[in-house]
Amino acid sequence: MKGDADLVVSSAPHLRDRQTVGLAMRDVFVALMPVTAVSIYYFHWNALFLISVCLLTAVLTEVLFRRMMKKEPTLYDWSAVLTGLFVAMLFPATTPWWKAALAVFIGVGFAKELAGGLGRNRFNPALFGLVALMLLAPLVALLDEQFASLYVSFGTVDVLTQATPLAMLHQGMEMPSYGRLLTAFPGGALGETSPLFLLIGAAYLFFRGHLNWRIPASILITVAALTTALGQNPIQHLLVGSLPLGAFFMATDWVTSPFTNKGKYVFGICIGIGVVMFRLGLSPTEGVAYSILIMNGFVPMIERWTLRPQFGRHSRSAVSAAER
Amino acid sequence: MTIRHFLGGLRVPHYKTFTEEKFIEAVAAPSELVIPLQQHIGAPCSALVEVGDTVQAGQKIGEPTGFVSAPVHASLSGRVSAVESRRTHSGQEALCVVIDVDSEQVPRRAPENRSSNLTREDIITAVRDAGVVGMGGAGFPTAVKLQPPADKPVDTVILNGCECEPYLTCDHRMMVEMPEQILQGASYIRQALDAETVLVCVEDNKKDAIDALRAKNTDQQTQILKVPTKYPQGAEKQLIKAATGREVPPQGLPFEVGVVVQNVGTAAAVCDAVEYGRPLLERVVTVTGQNLAEPKNLRIPIGTLLSHVIEQCGGMKENPAKVIVGGPMTGAAQADLSVPVTKAVTGITVLGPAMAVSDREYDHCVRCGRCVDKCPMLLYPNQISVFCEANLIERARQWNTMDCIECGICAFVCPAQRPIVRFVQEMKPQIQAAQRSS
Repeated sequence: MKGDADLVVSSAPHLRDRQTVGLAMRDVFVALMPVTAVSIYYFHWNALFLISVCLLTAVLTEVLFRRMMKKEPTLYDWSAVLTGLFVAMLFPATTPWWKAALAVFIGVGFAKELAGGLGRNRFNPALFGLVALMLLAPLVALLDEQFASLYVSFGTVDVLTQATPLAMLHQGMEMPSYGRLLTAFPGGALGETSPLFLLIGAAYLFFRGHLNWRIPASILITVAALTTALGQNPIQHLLVGSLPLGAFFMATDWVTSPFTNKGKYVFGICIGIGVVMFRLGLSPTEGVAYSILIMNGFVPMIERWTLRPQFGRHSRSAVSAAER
Repeated sequence: MTIRHFLGGLRVPHYKTFTEEKFIEAVAAPSELVIPLQQHIGAPCSALVEVGDTVQAGQKIGEPTGFVSAPVHASLSGRVSAVESRRTHSGQEALCVVIDVDSEQVPRRAPENRSSNLTREDIITAVRDAGVVGMGGAGFPTAVKLQPPADKPVDTVILNGCECEPYLTCDHRMMVEMPEQILQGASYIRQALDAETVLVCVEDNKKDAIDALRAKNTDQQTQILKVPTKYPQGAEKQLIKAATGREVPPQGLPFEVGVVVQNVGTAAAVCDAVEYGRPLLERVVTVTGQNLAEPKNLRIPIGTLLSHVIEQCGGMKENPAKVIVGGPMTGAAQADLSVPVTKAVTGITVLGPAMAVSDREYDHCVRCGRCVDKCPMLLYPNQISVFCEANLIERARQWNTMDCIECGICAFVCPAQRPIVRFVQEMKPQIQAAQRSS
């Protein structure tokens, strides 16, 4: 090379690993593909239609809100479509499309974008959207009335009318075998179809380095221990409802879980306690969603309690960050 | 000897194959030298020469003005053409002596070895007069480190041969090619400090260096320790922890736990200074990178311009390029190649178009916690980056921004590409200013 050098100047470090937020979110999306495929296998077009509505709404909502705030859409980070897919996984295949779309709209638009964008949201967007629908029950009822004629159905599938394992467990009905519960017992939300295929996705996430085992382990151990202590069958409790999806995919959301290792245990144990309380005492459904969402709110407090001492200090009281 | 690990850290790509097997060679003498009068942490030197003066190689041209300081010498003979402020590789201006180098250099006569019956004071004086500073990159005056406070006795000298920074091999080659000089220097350092043990710590990816040192080590009080290859193993506090299990408290110096750490190159310079009264006139620099025609380990006179060094290595291959003084994790990218090699320059890393990326756009922190897992100071780089970005000085101080060693791991792993080190570098002076004014 002759002549003047064209020199690039930037701050250290000049090496970076290849990880980006978009790649990580894409990996989570990929990790949800096995259970998505199983749900489509069982619910055919109903599932495919619901998922498509959710993904499309997520993209449109993100673009709309970012345009309104005069920011560039950040579809490349995959977080909007991921929220869309999560919402679809949280609903049964027969859900009217406007309900799912509204949940996605609230999750992506309000819980994420209005909170300041990915990273600034305190609550898991998908769960926020789901729970918001319950709080907005009158609005949803109105929509149901207005939109009833627009309901799209692709014909019934046998499994659509089957009782969910969680409801069966709650009503003390005779439960399917562990094997069936683990591999696939469709009936509830799409993401509840197959714990086994959720686990395959979770294993993929773990080996890609995105899944911290502390949160799912403490949730599942807590649920197992408490249900055992209360005379319930712990294995059935672990396999039914949205617990596998929640423990591996939703409670582990980077943004809305504690960044301290000890905090992850506290967070997981509290969610586990919440799930058991909801299931055995309060409401038979959505206990996982409520528990995670409630604990999302406590994350800053948990982090403050569980800070580690910096290098060279051995007592927590010496951490000046804890002065806050 | 059990090796304890420090927490955090990670394996970074090494890229050391460019130069790790290349013998150290002398660079062709440049026609001009620019010698900064401040090449160390501490007070700058005052100039002892004026424009028009002729200077001999080894002649002192800068006199220290404080205790924490080190004299500066002319590396080659010539005529002083200017004494003026020039930009250095740190990006700051410093007073520099510019020398037109004589085309004929009088060979330095071999001085005699005067190493018998040395006292502690002899060693410290020789080191101070020779202008030896820490050659691992920090540039702290070595003589100051040899005089710890009386109430902090030092029992262990750690010789830092980790060279954990990617690309760099200057310490590695010195350990392979001149182990005796390094070990001898270490023993002088130990004598000066009245310490009991010398631990020479080398990362286990440099087997030939470990073998060479072990083969030449005859001192009962010196041990060659193999430490794990993990960045930043060569960071002072992390190395002390790994080698001795002791933790230097925040804001504290290694004295507090009875340790002094010196770089292996510094030990070699100490040996030269003590035995032959030879001032620090040149140093070994790794000139390397994908974009350099002929990567080399070069012995370079202090004050030689980067442009000359790169030319001597066959020049750069492609544009755009990034020229980093030091290694890629902690080094500073240069906008201009007319800055000189100083005593603290360990390497010149030249990256090509594929790797010469400028600061990228970054996103909000997504709280993934990867930086928290890897931070070797056990800080919370995520929180620090958020408060530095928002310029919340008091919050940044509370989250211990001042204890950051700027190793770069947090920014290396950050999926949101946040320039965390830059944030910290911009925040630290503000915290200091706030503390002074309160």
